[in-house]
Amino acid sequence: MRPFTVLTAVAAPLEIAKIDTGMILPGRFMRRHRRPGHDYAEAFLYDLRFDETGRPRADFVLNAPAYREAGILVTDIDFGCGSSREGAAFAVMDFGLRALVGPSFGEIFQVNCLQNGILVVTLSETIIRDIWRQLRERPGAEMTIDLPNQILTAPDGTAHAFEISPLRKDRLVRGIDDIDVTLEHLDAIEAFEAKRRAAVPWLPTARRE
Amino acid sequence: MSPRTLFEKIWSDHVIVTSPQGEDLLYVDFNLINEGQSFLAFDQLRIEGRSARRPEQQLAVTDHYLPTINRALGPAGMTNPEIRRVVEMLDENAAAFALPHIGWHHRDQGIAHVIAPELGIAQPGLLITCNDSHTATNGACGALGIPVGGGNQLRHVLATQTVWLKKPKTLRISIEGALPSAVSAKDVILSIIREIGVGGATGYAVEYAGAAIRAMSMEARMTICNMSIEAGARIGMVAPDDTTFQFLAGRPNAPEGADRPRALAWWKTLPSDPDAIFDRELSFDAGRLAPMVSWGTSPEDCAPVDGAVPDPSRIGDGDRRRHVERALDYMRLKPATPLDQIAIDRVFIGSCTNSRIEDLRAAARVLKGRRTAVPGMVSPGSSAVKRQAESEGLDRIFRDAGLEWRDAGCSMCNGSNGELVAPGERCASTTNRNFEGRQGRGALTHIMSPAMVAAAAVFGRITDVRRLSS
Repeated sequence: MRPFTVLTAVAAPLEIAKIDTGMILPGRFMRRHRRPGHDYAEAFLYDLRFDETGRPRADFVLNAPAYREAGILVTDIDFGCGSSREGAAFAVMDFGLRALVGPSFGEIFQVNCLQNGILVVTLSETIIRDIWRQLRERPGAEMTIDLPNQILTAPDGTAHAFEISPLRKDRLVRGIDDIDVTLEHLDAIEAFEAKRRAAVPWLPTARRE
Repeated sequence: MSPRTLFEKIWSDHVIVTSPQGEDLLYVDFNLINEGQSFLAFDQLRIEGRSARRPEQQLAVTDHYLPTINRALGPAGMTNPEIRRVVEMLDENAAAFALPHIGWHHRDQGIAHVIAPELGIAQPGLLITCNDSHTATNGACGALGIPVGGGNQLRHVLATQTVWLKKPKTLRISIEGALPSAVSAKDVILSIIREIGVGGATGYAVEYAGAAIRAMSMEARMTICNMSIEAGARIGMVAPDDTTFQFLAGRPNAPEGADRPRALAWWKTLPSDPDAIFDRELSFDAGRLAPMVSWGTSPEDCAPVDGAVPDPSRIGDGDRRRHVERALDYMRLKPATPLDQIAIDRVFIGSCTNSRIEDLRAAARVLKGRRTAVPGMVSPGSSAVKRQAESEGLDRIFRDAGLEWRDAGCSMCNGSNGELVAPGERCASTTNRNFEGRQGRGALTHIMSPAMVAAAAVFGRITDVRRLSS
């Protein structure tokens, strides 16, 4: 997992409330393999970004040239609510976003994002509305998120402190996911395994035919 | 050592470390994987350059997306390209990660929760995971069966052979006394869910106990444990006993030779100590239970078959009243309709809940020498169950009665393989969930036992199977 320390990136305002995981990753993309070059980047918010004929909607914010390199999305309330589909976090990641900033997020979606190295920052609705305004006034403006110090700096230079669980913060800063954390216990796992195999020699195993 | 429950013994036996946040890192003895969303886990592992740590303790099983017809044609028999693609993805992923795989062509093919006990993988004292909510089925064998999510959690199990979990509380549900004839395991678990609700056991590991459970076959215990999740519990188990030991004897993965007495000695230590304390206890009188039928859109929306659809105007609780109103609207049922006056359009016998040999025998007993009034299909839980049923002539009974005899798979339980109940069609089904749209958009599902489904098939309406047997 890519470590997340200090990110300075173009921020895009997405002023639509309650974008659920089904909009983030429409169901019809859920059976698609994720491979480099053929991932969920296209699927991300597909029905908002493209019209019925597959042409980009000119009036949709993420299609504006200023946001082509966006790394931060400033969302409205309850972003990522709805079904627990884990592909939604992958769609965010594949689209190239590294952080989501908004007033509230779907709980499972938020965990899935954090597990995959996407920082999720929750700020008050008042602050979010102010950031949207700044971003509208200066399309393509950058923001800085300093995770070690838990400070988000808005385009106008205002610093906003944010909260994050110490556990999640540690993993993001070190760039380790759940698997890496577990593998820090590899010696213990291997010792346990050896003991278990000796105690229960008939543990079932399967063979590939 | 202080007295412990069955669950606590097996759980603590698998703890490798405990995190400062109080989550336990548990060793996974065996993990099963279905098509479902598992490709998400594989794709991400591939992107990360990770592999399966213990492939020999994993088994990929194709069950959810596999059509139950035209198997001889292989992938060409799967007419829906999207469904075929999902089936092929598991083929490819199992091959790429060197995982053992029971695919469409395998002689043991079947539903993961049916074949894990069948192959002797589900054994007392083992911790078994699968990316499916009905993994507790394995608990009937005295194993700790735990469902994991198809993305991140499955990825973690594949890469480490472990899983992080917070220890649940313990709940013992005792079914005392003896079941009346024609009352089955399905009726027991539906009665429990009706009583405690779909969230009634959330946060608990359930142990089913009592004389009625002890008297049950393994197949019946599996039906009970299977539907733990419909009461909110991810874990459901039954203490191993002689029924368990006999069931396991001779199965491919079960201990044999010098291992067998060692295993037996250990297995006998696993049942809850007599003075073990559970966080919560519930008790049911088996003698008072009756065949159950669901009328609504949640597994708790069920009643004894001689009852009636509820009248929302008589329900005081506002939330419950609104749910019942919506459920009856979706189910196109009038309040206070006697359940045995509800006409049905088709039947389905199958799923990880009720597709084992005993289930098929129970349905066949009702159908023998009779014709069904409505169409329907029977999908055995595994290829082995199918062969056994055919050797007993059950397939002939189903066919002669007018039902289709299919291959094994999850099939019409949730229709992910394309086998759906049509919109507005009413289906008497041996499955586990009657949610809106579960068996297809606009499908009207009534869940009940195999014998009850068979009786409904014969009369074209919901029927009290006790009338047939007396």
